[in-house]
Amino acid sequence: MTLAEIKEGNVAEIKKLSGGRGLIEKIQGFGLFVGSKVRLERKAPFRGPLLVEDMENDARIMIGRGMAAKVEVEVLESKKSR
Amino acid sequence: MNRKNPGEIVIALAGQPNCGKSTILNAVAGFRVNTGNFAGTTVSFTETRVHFEGQTFRLIDLPGTYSISSHDPAEKVARDFLLSGQADVVINVVDSSLLSRSLEFTLQLLEMNVPMVIALNMFDDAQKKGIEIDTRKLQELTGAEAYPVVAVRGIGIPELFRAVLKLTRSGFHPVPPVYDRDVEEDIQKLQENYPESLKKSLPIDPRFVIIRLLEMDEEFARKAEEIDPDFARLAVETRRRSAELHNWPEENVFSSHRHAIVLNLFEQVARVHPRSRVGLEERLDRFLSNPIGGFLGVMILFLLMFSAVFGLGNLISGILYGPLAAAGKALGGSFSGITLMIVSGLYQGLVAGAGIVLPYLVPLLLMMAILEDTGLLPRIAFMVDGVLHRFGLHGKSVVPLILGYGCSVPALMATRSLEHPRDRIRTLLIIPFIACSARTVIILALAGKYLGAAATTLIYLGNLAVALGVCFLLSRSGAEADPGIIMDVPRLRIPPMRILLKKIWLRLYEFLAFAWIVIIISSLVLEFFSFVGINRIINGALAPLSSGVLRLPPEIGITLFLGIFRKELTLIMLAQALGTADISTLLSHTQILVLVVFTVLYIPCIATLSTLWKEGGWKLAAGSALLNTAVAIIVAGTIAWTAALL
Repeated sequence: MTLAEIKEGNVAEIKKLSGGRGLIEKIQGFGLFVGSKVRLERKAPFRGPLLVEDMENDARIMIGRGMAAKVEVEVLESKKSR
Repeated sequence: MNRKNPGEIVIALAGQPNCGKSTILNAVAGFRVNTGNFAGTTVSFTETRVHFEGQTFRLIDLPGTYSISSHDPAEKVARDFLLSGQADVVINVVDSSLLSRSLEFTLQLLEMNVPMVIALNMFDDAQKKGIEIDTRKLQELTGAEAYPVVAVRGIGIPELFRAVLKLTRSGFHPVPPVYDRDVEEDIQKLQENYPESLKKSLPIDPRFVIIRLLEMDEEFARKAEEIDPDFARLAVETRRRSAELHNWPEENVFSSHRHAIVLNLFEQVARVHPRSRVGLEERLDRFLSNPIGGFLGVMILFLLMFSAVFGLGNLISGILYGPLAAAGKALGGSFSGITLMIVSGLYQGLVAGAGIVLPYLVPLLLMMAILEDTGLLPRIAFMVDGVLHRFGLHGKSVVPLILGYGCSVPALMATRSLEHPRDRIRTLLIIPFIACSARTVIILALAGKYLGAAATTLIYLGNLAVALGVCFLLSRSGAEADPGIIMDVPRLRIPPMRILLKKIWLRLYEFLAFAWIVIIISSLVLEFFSFVGINRIINGALAPLSSGVLRLPPEIGITLFLGIFRKELTLIMLAQALGTADISTLLSHTQILVLVVFTVLYIPCIATLSTLWKEGGWKLAAGSALLNTAVAIIVAGTIAWTAALL
């Protein structure tokens, strides 16, 4: 499953980053590494970006769906979205 | 870059985007740097000289980078500078509220073995977030002195400079990160095989080069391949084996090792206390990132901004109008001939700047600064990115586009927050199509008066459609793959007034020093034209366009020409050119519509063109003028001829 596919409110752990070195570096630059835990806060309307909480840094990042599709995750906690 | 003066200490400010490097520079240097609560404002270097306790420092603000790979052009610029040894000391500026993430870069700097001091900026934000940082422990584990700093308030800056001074005298003893045993063995093995030839051509710490090779750094890999292919191959093999051993992709096996060290370091130097209360900021934030609340919030915000800008603008220009008009009259009475021409030219230019642009520009700049520094901008970008994407634009383009309804000049300046050149050029080209306040006056005075409210609204919507349509076509022409958006959404915060005022002053100064001078010169040219009676020649030259394509009376030619200098001149001179105040006696409704559409779309005004020139070069300015004129001729010509043939 990828970050683009999980539901709002779900907490997931990053399992793999793909998409070439440039993209991986870019994603890692924002603190998202294999093993990082993230919570999907919101999906923007009209297939816009995702608002993701990086739980280790207590930081929020906006990431486009195309890029999020390169982030493989495993859902740890599925909550109903607020 | 200037050469180094003897006795001067060169400091490079290095850190991740949005960590506050420019704010530190601002805190010491005064009115020189542009910053924003928006990732990636510093595109090239800024350098400033500062005197502190009898010592001169040259501060170099490197572009914000997430890592020191050679992949990204900005990262390469920063790395090349750091490796060149030009900096005596590096201040690693760290966003303390994002300590763990920032340490990734800090460790890479340590591996470069450059003398370094850590500035734990936004220390107050970290405290608010419940992050308690043990600076002494951080110092012990990295070898670099670390100081709490709150750059926006100037806290901790003197201590930082004293530490730099101390470091230049005492020398630097870094504690570089030690990796897992198998990684260290790999490094050890490569170090034993490190060729002398490589040492000679790359005067950098071999351990650093080896780490870069293990990290798949393209530039160092190329260099190694050139000088010693056997060694390059050994490095590749080592990396592959390590990737297999850990079952990680080759691309990030090394950065994953470093990440593990960072997590460990973070645990040792910081303690995180869970936050208990949900503050007002956070509640507002939740509301804004909710689809319905977000759009509502964005709408209300823009409405407030618009009314503030236009309300304030009207108020200021109203106050200025009386005295300016009186002064104009007095001038007209006391000069004649050529002197009158020059005086009135200068005066008109001054008035255009002071009476028309400034009243709207100042409130616009204030709104813009507030949007940037509060962190509202990324939230707006979040809401509209999806929609703008269809037209080949980025969520980040929304603010410049909206500012364009006020005045194109600050709108063009606002595109600086777009880091991707392609997005920036596209946005720069679209802004001149948007009906700014000067053109809004024309729409209201002509279409509003003679064609009615419905037609006026249609013209507005049509204008937006044309702008987005052009954008859509531009995006089709570029075959480049879209990398998609990824950006920080900083916490909402209330920016200190001092910082806002500095920022406004800086941007205002740019306008005063550049665009206003162009306006004054063009106004002089204008007076000269009417003085020597060039009007008729211009009307004749423009006749193929005005009467041929647009089916308007040829007398309109001069007003269109004048509109290039200042858009509202088309309106002001129209009555004079046609010899009547009631335009509808000479122009049909279709002709008025054609005139309005053409005026709104054709060549941007001189101030816009000069700003375009400054922001994107003369080619872009010329291209924009051509594009606008072509679109104006096509759209207005089509309306004129369709009406004539029906």
